[in-house]
Amino acid sequence: MNRREPLKSAIEELLDDVDGVLALRSTSGHVAPHLFCGRQELEELAVSPKYSLPATLRLIQAAHPEARLGIVCRGCEERGLIEMAKRNQINLDLVTVIGLACTPEEAEECRCAKPYPSVLVETHVGERAEPVVDQLVEELRQKDVAQRMEFWRKHFDRCIKCYACRNACPQCFCPECTLEEGLWVETGEVPPTYPTFHLIRAMHTAGKCVGCRECELSCPAGIPLTTLYALIREDVREMFGYEPGADLDQQPPLVLPVEVES
Amino acid sequence: MWGPQIVAYACTYCSYPGADLAGTSRIKYSPNVNIIRVLCSGRVSPELILRTFREGADGVLVLGCHYGDCHFISGNHRTAKRVAVLKRVLEYSGIDPNRLRLEWVSASEGARFAQVVDEFTETVRQLEPMERVLA
Repeated sequence: MNRREPLKSAIEELLDDVDGVLALRSTSGHVAPHLFCGRQELEELAVSPKYSLPATLRLIQAAHPEARLGIVCRGCEERGLIEMAKRNQINLDLVTVIGLACTPEEAEECRCAKPYPSVLVETHVGERAEPVVDQLVEELRQKDVAQRMEFWRKHFDRCIKCYACRNACPQCFCPECTLEEGLWVETGEVPPTYPTFHLIRAMHTAGKCVGCRECELSCPAGIPLTTLYALIREDVREMFGYEPGADLDQQPPLVLPVEVES
Repeated sequence: MWGPQIVAYACTYCSYPGADLAGTSRIKYSPNVNIIRVLCSGRVSPELILRTFREGADGVLVLGCHYGDCHFISGNHRTAKRVAVLKRVLEYSGIDPNRLRLEWVSASEGARFAQVVDEFTETVRQLEPMERVLA
């Protein structure tokens, strides 16, 4: 099904009410985020590949806090937007969301458990694809601790410490990053020493990671980071009943006190 | 017998005096433990624990005040959640989660401190040296 035309008309409609709509634009064969401010630009509108727009939205809002903006959101981007709003990185009051559902192929590629938006929007462009079960997660669950070590060492040893995973992550917005501090992660060593670099990142994304797979897509070494984060996400849900990006009200669990019976 | 290297982070208000009491009460406990005093168990960040492992510690013990006793009110609450998550992270990435343990030891629990340390040392002794795991 063609999603571009309905998406284009949805943006056209929204442009009457907002200053600009953040979506993807294809120029000379390159797709990049673009703030569409006029209808004539929409000829260059692109739907895929996936590119996390909430991170771009955050930058635009930081420079123009008063701007009324629209944004095209896939399921993962919506979840990302919610988590960022909870941490005061974006102001959702000034943002209108246009939903976009992923195709079954895209959902399959991302091993996505919820490939459509449904919290901030009631309808979306495109049809809902079925959730996909991450086989690699199940596979890793079956392994014992030593086998897991072997699995991850094989992957982490290919790391070139380019920080692409952190840079691409919409949830990584700290002005100062622990991964750049020599105290915790040695400088000048490639691959970064195990277990600090990757496990620090895994810890820092716990309760935040929405499984958008940007880290994995941007990784030049093809490390299946999403799998590790997905395992942790399941545990955070099990331990604290918290699912990142599921709703706007629940507070992130890792900063709240434990509920103790007195 | 193999003697594991254990690093214990003890908070300055409860667990460190607890360890002190174990000493002044002449309670014997495992000599494998190296105690590091921290201002609050909430100060023990995942980075710190991971670096301790990387430096070759075979086990990391985080000791803090009981709930309600924290000098900083909720420092130990944060540690409790953080350590629980970190244990899972370690488990999934191939480090035995039993190498990390969180316990509450108050200033009056010298005997409990000794017991926790002894038990933990025995647990870690059953595992492979960290040096070999990370090699």
